[in-house]
Amino acid sequence: MQLFVRRYGTLIGFVAILVFFSAVLPGTFPTARNWLNITQQVSMLMVVAAGMTIVMVMGDFDLSVGSAASLAGIVAALMMAAGQPIWAAVAVALLVGLLGGAFNGAMVSLVGILPFIATLATMTMFSGLAFVVSGGKTISGRAIPEDFGNFARGGIPLGEWGGVAISLPNLSIIAIVVVLAVWVLLEQTTYGRRLYAIGGNMEAAHLSGIAVKRLRLIAFSLTGLAAAAGGLMYASRVASANPVQGSGLMLNAIAAVFLGTTMSRHGEPRILATVVGVIVLGVLDNGLTQMSVDSYVRQVLVGALILLAVAASSVTQGRR
Amino acid sequence: MSLNKSALAFAGILLATTVLGTGAALAQAKVAIVTPYMAQPGTQFYVEAFEAVAAENDWEVNVIDTAGDVAAVISRIEDLVVQNVDAIVINVDPTQVTAGLQSAKDAGIPVFGMDAGADPLLVTNVTSNGYAMAAETSTYVADRIKGEGNVVMFVFDAFPPVQVRGVVADAVFGNFPDIKVLDRVTPDVSDGGIADSRAKMEAILAANPEPGSIKAVWAAWDQPALGALQAIEDAGRSGEGIVITGIDANPQAREAIAAGGNFEASVAQDFAGIGATTAEAVARVLAGEEILQSVTYVPTKLVTAANAAE
Repeated sequence: MQLFVRRYGTLIGFVAILVFFSAVLPGTFPTARNWLNITQQVSMLMVVAAGMTIVMVMGDFDLSVGSAASLAGIVAALMMAAGQPIWAAVAVALLVGLLGGAFNGAMVSLVGILPFIATLATMTMFSGLAFVVSGGKTISGRAIPEDFGNFARGGIPLGEWGGVAISLPNLSIIAIVVVLAVWVLLEQTTYGRRLYAIGGNMEAAHLSGIAVKRLRLIAFSLTGLAAAAGGLMYASRVASANPVQGSGLMLNAIAAVFLGTTMSRHGEPRILATVVGVIVLGVLDNGLTQMSVDSYVRQVLVGALILLAVAASSVTQGRR
Repeated sequence: MSLNKSALAFAGILLATTVLGTGAALAQAKVAIVTPYMAQPGTQFYVEAFEAVAAENDWEVNVIDTAGDVAAVISRIEDLVVQNVDAIVINVDPTQVTAGLQSAKDAGIPVFGMDAGADPLLVTNVTSNGYAMAAETSTYVADRIKGEGNVVMFVFDAFPPVQVRGVVADAVFGNFPDIKVLDRVTPDVSDGGIADSRAKMEAILAANPEPGSIKAVWAAWDQPALGALQAIEDAGRSGEGIVITGIDANPQAREAIAAGGNFEASVAQDFAGIGATTAEAVARVLAGEEILQSVTYVPTKLVTAANAAE
């Protein structure tokens, strides 16, 4: 019974939220259009949280993802403003994320600094770099090619629903692809199983011949890459880039992964559980806005929810 | 402990939100204000004045603060469009939320800018004339230092309404051959702007120890001016006659100006006027009127020791 509570409490809560909003907002909440909106609204967080899941599987953290996302957006925007093609700007920005992540990985695995401290430092560094290269400016307007902003507004048409044309947003598609890629990586490959082994017991993993240092380095690089992708999606959505715009992603990504961990057997992060965590956060924002709940009360509720979910699972875990 | 504990907890939260959410039902028009900048002192004045006019009109107002997250502004506009509100007011650079504005336009919901920026997707943007305000204080500085000496500028180009102020001050100072802009500082505003401006000013003072080597500090808004004032006073250099100006004339700045120290002038934006004028624009459009000006300017006023106490 307690295991049931631990594993399915959050899921039941999630379903309760959906039922509740559908009952209170029957005309707008459970519509295809609203759900497609939600998938688009959470897409950036989804990508960053998926990347965060990779390092959190090993019991590590990456506090720098928000700054890396901002930096990637700024780098791409500056290149586009300088007349470079969009594909080149995107490629370089992703590379910056990958290298930033690799730097985190090197600090953590090769130098041996605690991830919390190493990524706290790089968080400040990436943020500072974003300010340095942009001069503190928001890059927007004509500096950003229309196609870049239009990408986030586009999608694959799905036909009509209740007289309104709906489409699957491009950003949602990217999020789905990234989640699938991380799912394959973590659940279907030896690499993924080894990350879980490191998360279970790093010493034992090392003694059993797993190249812990190399795997951690790669994991942090992938998290950085995902953060950059999230930052580019954000930049496309707001058709602009400023040096702080990704900063809100970090705490939400960690929150989503934690919410997810309350659904797995031993409290370890699972990518599909992270997906539920992200959607819980997105649905709360969407539904509470539609109910005209004060935005500060909304923040308190979201925080309380995370505490409750994690507390419920850890209390029952302690009793076992 | 047989019943599912976390499900119970979720139920409690949901119950609480029902109570909160149904508090303001049955009003006539639904109007929402979305801003990422609620923590800025000015924003609260707009919103309060807007709400006062809204109360007279018996509107249901939903104020949404995304706490600095611009993409969340788009998300919340999408939610409001799904909810089919009657009008949306934004307080953010409209070019960054085009996706949301477009979905509002497609649904036929009018969007108004409250000190946002002009945009074809907005009915109108109600604001102070930032160019004029910066011209007031930068010419005040130039006149006070008799057109010569080193000036330190505090700017913030990431926020368009503040960025235009810097542009005008650059032009005014550039037009005086003997005025030299010693430094053009962008302070870190995450703590409100005073503390970091103070630290930056302390460093500049340390680098320029000669009395008279800094003639004036021109700040694009009040917080850096206050930070610079603290730095100058603490360095024991308030007797050098360094002229400080800000913009916005917030209560702390007015107090400093009234005290008669180095902080000599600021410009008062009529925040309440902007909020009220925005609400009046919403009322006009809801009544079926068409608004032609893409920008609606609300007058500002230079604040010096003569009128700071008003």
